[in-house]
Amino acid sequence: MAFIEVNNVIKDFKIYKKQKGFTGSVKSLFCSQYDIKRAVDNISFKIDKGELVGYIGPNGAGKSTTIKMMCGILLPTSGNIMVNSRIPYVNRRENAMRMGVVFGQRSQLYWDLPVCETFDLYKKMYRIDEKRFKQNLSFFIELLGMQEFLQRPVRQLSLGQKMRANLAVALLHDPDIVYLDEPTIGLDVVAKNRIRHFIKEINRERAVTLVLTTHDMDDIEQICDRLIMIEKGSILYDGSLKEFKDKYCDGYILTVVFSDESARPNDPRFKVIKEEGPKKTILCSREVINMAEAVTLLVRSHNIVDLSIKEPEIEEVVRKLYEKDSENYPSTIAATGEND
Amino acid sequence: MYYFLLYLNFIKINLQSIFEYRKAFWYGQVCMITSYVTDIALIWVLISRFKTINGWGPYEIMFLYALNLCAYSIAGVLLRKPTIALPSMIQSGEFDDILIRPLNPFFYTITREAAMYFSQLTVSAVTLTICIMKLQLTINPASVGMLILVIISGALIQGAIDLFAAIPAFWLIKSDSIKDLLIGDIRSFTRYPISIYNRSVQVFLTLIVPYAFISFYPAQFFLKKNDFIMFHPVFQYLTPAIGIILIVLAYKFWNAGVRHYNSTGS
Repeated sequence: MAFIEVNNVIKDFKIYKKQKGFTGSVKSLFCSQYDIKRAVDNISFKIDKGELVGYIGPNGAGKSTTIKMMCGILLPTSGNIMVNSRIPYVNRRENAMRMGVVFGQRSQLYWDLPVCETFDLYKKMYRIDEKRFKQNLSFFIELLGMQEFLQRPVRQLSLGQKMRANLAVALLHDPDIVYLDEPTIGLDVVAKNRIRHFIKEINRERAVTLVLTTHDMDDIEQICDRLIMIEKGSILYDGSLKEFKDKYCDGYILTVVFSDESARPNDPRFKVIKEEGPKKTILCSREVINMAEAVTLLVRSHNIVDLSIKEPEIEEVVRKLYEKDSENYPSTIAATGEND
Repeated sequence: MYYFLLYLNFIKINLQSIFEYRKAFWYGQVCMITSYVTDIALIWVLISRFKTINGWGPYEIMFLYALNLCAYSIAGVLLRKPTIALPSMIQSGEFDDILIRPLNPFFYTITREAAMYFSQLTVSAVTLTICIMKLQLTINPASVGMLILVIISGALIQGAIDLFAAIPAFWLIKSDSIKDLLIGDIRSFTRYPISIYNRSVQVFLTLIVPYAFISFYPAQFFLKKNDFIMFHPVFQYLTPAIGIILIVLAYKFWNAGVRHYNSTGS
């Protein structure tokens, strides 16, 4: 049996029609008018021990809802979930003991306290024995470079420092599984790299199973072996990162600097995706026009100062996939926010 | 034991947080004490004008007030902050953080929001002591034991009411209106002996929102009164039973709320 099994999980939310004022709030106690929104629609996947899985999808796709069900916070409407042969929403406390969570948007630190006091608190909460606690702490302090801010109150820390401390908290009790919900949100490049390095290291050294949601495709590209992509509650793709690229990356990107600022390739096979003065970023599909032909065409018809070609990054691919979908259902994407 | 140790730890943490802002802490304490002293002074002005209200002398009414404030501040230490915080925790999804921990959500919520209401506790203890002296109430192990029992049970009743006011937030997300009604408006009836009110108010404060069991009925026992309005004198001994029943009901209600949260989220 796989370490995590998610079988045919469906999650519906009732969206109550709100009423105003005191009488309205009392009324809504009894009132049963609601719409049903299906946040997760028949999802199944398996994750083995020690895997590092990127779980991606646009806002409102059902990522957080799935994670919350795996954490035991939410109950599926139907279907079942097993994590390490436990049902998280039934054996919630046993499951929580072996699990670590980081919600990038929220902190599990205490605003006015030094970071080290927070570690002490979680040590008591998870009943971590003294020796193991010290080992882990010195390992994390080293790996995350936390020495310099260990004694400072949390309110004085930068976002990156807080995220590092949060990661350490989530891993202090040697969990088997760690869920990271947007762990690099709002961080600068250096901080992001540090976090990514840490996540990889933890996964490699301790065989911790990691499920990571993110909107930053560099996160996925740099650390994940496997990608699960979800859209409007259903799985769009589940497989290795390489296969994903082979399957969806059929194009390439040309960055061209024209000598004339107003120049613009008017051939419909060129799709201009970004314009910065004379510099244009153009997306082409291999099926429509091959690289040599595209370059020849551009050079012949325009005065070009500079030109570069690159394979699209996964970010572009995902953006295309998201966009393709939102074209079909523009209103739903706009109306439904992330569910947290 | 585990929760108790954790609780002490959270108290330590919260005190540390409070002491980070020393001036704000002292301002807060001074304001609180001033507000309660003003409150007491106002009641005092009123009752000393009338000499007695429905057979209750000034110190007897103060005793009633102090008994109520004692229960209110003890319940406050354990439950006021968590019950006030609950709606916003549910609204912001912060309640998720409670559920990802390997702890009982009820005890964890209480533990994590541990608070110390020094000023309320001080004001109520001082007022209660003054009243006991002035009224020359008998002080022996039995009466002191009974007083402690009544105060603790009263705190359970008050705590249960706090919980009943906050828990609907699991369904409504916001339950401020219920809280204001139960803890603000209705509670202010208990400043005076409820025998001065209309019958329907007496029934309401006895059977529906049983504030009368926190101070009015047990006070009859200590003051050797016989002012049971339409109810039986046995009511003076019922406070502990009512306290336990209510807190158990509140806990069940809480669990129902958490189950609802499990199926709906924030």
